[in-house]
Amino acid sequence: MILLQVIVGGLLLGAVYALFSSGLTLIWGMMNVINFAHGEFVMIGMYVAFVVVTYLHGGPLAFSASAAIVLFLLGVVVYLGLIRHIIRGPMIAQILSTFGLALLLRYSAFWIFSANFKTLPDDTIPGTLNLGGILLGMPQLVAGAVALALTIGMHLVLTRTGVGSRLLAVAEDRQAAMLMGIRPDRMQALAWGLSAASAGIAGALVATFYPTSPGVGEVFAVTAFVVVTFGGFGSVPGAMIAGLLIGLIQSLSAYYLGPVYKDIVVYGLFVLILWVRPQGLMGKVAG
Amino acid sequence: MLLEAQSVSRAFGSFMALSNADLSVDEGEIIGLIGPNGAGKSTFFNCLVGDLVPTSGRVVFAEIDVTNASPEAHARLGIGRTFQVPATFEEMTILENVMVGAFLRHPNRHDAREKAREIVAFVGLGGQADQPARSLGTPGRKRLEIARVLASEPRLILLDEALAGLTPVEIQTAIELVRRIHQRGVTLVIVEHIMEVILSLTQRVLVFNQGHTVASGSPSDVVNDPAVIEAYLGRRREKRRRA
Amino acid sequence: MKWSWLVVAALLLLYPFVLTGAFYERMGADLLLAAIAASAWNIVGGYAGQISVGHAVFFGAGAYAPLLLYTQWQLPPVFGVPLGMLVSILIAIIIGMPTFRLQGHYFSMATIAVAELVRIVVGNWDFVGAAIGMMGPAVPRTVLDLSFRSSIPYYYIFLAVLALILGLTHFLSRGRMGYYWRAIRAGERAARSLGVPVRRYKLYALMLSAAFTSLAGSLYALMIGFVDPESGFGILVSVEMIITAALGGVGTLLGPLLGAAILVPLKMATNSLFGGGGSGLTYILYGGIILVLARFEPGGLLELWRRVAARATRRKPVTHAA
Repeated sequence: MILLQVIVGGLLLGAVYALFSSGLTLIWGMMNVINFAHGEFVMIGMYVAFVVVTYLHGGPLAFSASAAIVLFLLGVVVYLGLIRHIIRGPMIAQILSTFGLALLLRYSAFWIFSANFKTLPDDTIPGTLNLGGILLGMPQLVAGAVALALTIGMHLVLTRTGVGSRLLAVAEDRQAAMLMGIRPDRMQALAWGLSAASAGIAGALVATFYPTSPGVGEVFAVTAFVVVTFGGFGSVPGAMIAGLLIGLIQSLSAYYLGPVYKDIVVYGLFVLILWVRPQGLMGKVAG
Repeated sequence: MLLEAQSVSRAFGSFMALSNADLSVDEGEIIGLIGPNGAGKSTFFNCLVGDLVPTSGRVVFAEIDVTNASPEAHARLGIGRTFQVPATFEEMTILENVMVGAFLRHPNRHDAREKAREIVAFVGLGGQADQPARSLGTPGRKRLEIARVLASEPRLILLDEALAGLTPVEIQTAIELVRRIHQRGVTLVIVEHIMEVILSLTQRVLVFNQGHTVASGSPSDVVNDPAVIEAYLGRRREKRRRA
Repeated sequence: MKWSWLVVAALLLLYPFVLTGAFYERMGADLLLAAIAASAWNIVGGYAGQISVGHAVFFGAGAYAPLLLYTQWQLPPVFGVPLGMLVSILIAIIIGMPTFRLQGHYFSMATIAVAELVRIVVGNWDFVGAAIGMMGPAVPRTVLDLSFRSSIPYYYIFLAVLALILGLTHFLSRGRMGYYWRAIRAGERAARSLGVPVRRYKLYALMLSAAFTSLAGSLYALMIGFVDPESGFGILVSVEMIITAALGGVGTLLGPLLGAAILVPLKMATNSLFGGGGSGLTYILYGGIILVLARFEPGGLLELWRRVAARATRRKPVTHAA
């Protein structure tokens, strides 16, 4: 019974991983840029939720929507002000730009909010669900369900809608897309907005049961790296499956080996994936 | 036979970009690869230089199977190539660019530098040897790329549209340079669109269309071959018929 | 031999005689240590263009090895220097072998993941001190313990090591190794087509960089006499190396030293001005500096200087005519 609870709990958290990792892999596939500040986007989403709940007394819908909007705007601004300019430059500029951004955001958060952990009040999403003996906290359940829905939604938007196909066209072949009348710059800005928003909502969802602190971005960032590599370069469905799997593996590692091992196993798995199958589940390597 | 491609095919998913292409190049020849865009000649070129692994077929160089060999291995064996969009090392000087090529056969710095100087003078960039590569225009960059690969002392060089985008005067100079390279004993395979270049430089031409080789022979024969004319003009006729 | 190098060398040799007192002596030692670590990072990040954002893993290995040998077996800490280098080279191979045949991002992601992995493992492993960390000899037993009261002996040891690493880097950069590194950085695909064994040379750069970073970590442990998971393997250690090299100029010989000369005094100034709160601001500033560098001048201050100087010399004929 406990094992089942561990499994479901892991999958629910994994769904959140899937959500923010989808955003990261979308950018990676489209522009060949790894956003080292992606973890900080999640962190900001968490703080937006905290601020909305604590100072504006908003509910889950309010803080999720706020996180989405704030991060969407931030993503677009980051693209227009920074990414657009370094994308054709040397590798060092590409990597250091988002890395520098990550530091800036992380330590600004330290300065504004201090290093203390903050949690949302227990009654934000109250209750526990008893599913035939398995106890699932409502926050985790809601977070996992919403994350899964949004990730699937993102995949559908990318593959089934006009906007989505324009985004993918730019990812596929920028020149060809331009010839078809698509504006790559606009699509890329949109992609950054979506990517950041996915991280923000994930953060808002996770804030209901995961303590918020300025340094939390680092852990989420590395988790995202593992998930996108495991899923395969640029693949949203890959990130979805990989996210669920990583959440599950993490949970099982904590259960069987001890809480300390949850990250050790995942990071060790990352190295193993790089050695054995860097193209991940969906079979694509960058470049 | 120096280079031989046997029945080389390459698929991308379900799309057959190249089907059963054959090529045989003897030492000292200059061969041309022509065909409309998307005809498969770039795919074939990439299979020959090691950028792509054929789905089926073999590529043999000097009796060594290089079908699966890496680009580095190609270079070591004596197969050099240039890039359609010049990929010079922008932040290094012209001489330093060429030295990178020279280091393949001359691990010692002084030997590499001497070799590089010789090559830089040979291609006519001697006066600018110490300027950064980024100060060159496109024709200069193309010449630098040729110098760089020449410094690695290849037996065969594959040129990828090396004369595209040049003015008529520049094309004449480039043709001269290619001839001089050939005189040094380098075998050449040239992918080109410009008919003048094909006619004046190559001894034999291979024509691609829709993933297949549709004609081969001397330049003058090929230019008058109905299949070739069809390949280049066929699309226009098709469009007129539909309109 | 450029005369500017002689000037720098003279300045460095004479520094402790010009700026005296424990504060300046300590700052000098810190400055040189930062320059060593940044110069080590520069080998793989600057010359070869492979951006490691988790270089702390090598620094930490180098810092822990001497203190481990002392704590567990009472050996002189300096014996741990080669051990640290060996471990670092092994880690470099583990990270580099799979990722160097892939595009650059995989390497960068791997460095940060492995650094975190090692930090967590060390932080939970009692044998290496777990979260508490490890200490060196409180009182030196023999001179071999290299435990000095004053910063001056450390200063000159560090200066010798810096000269070693810069000398070796300069020597390598002039030969095939250096040319191949720069070619890899400037255009991997073209480099391959010229026969450059890209993966192997990236590995050489990383292994060399790892060994020297480890040495820097060992020197740190010898001087400070204490290390814990955060001060050894923490992300801020990686950040310091990167920003120091990047500010001065990646891929240049003296860039990291220039970066250290600016950032170490700056950091000491902000720490004494703002106290504890200063460190928060320091890293906001660091983030901003890295961002601005990446966006506007990835080549760092030396590159900026070069461009400004080139434009100035080009303008000269015009002013003469007027």
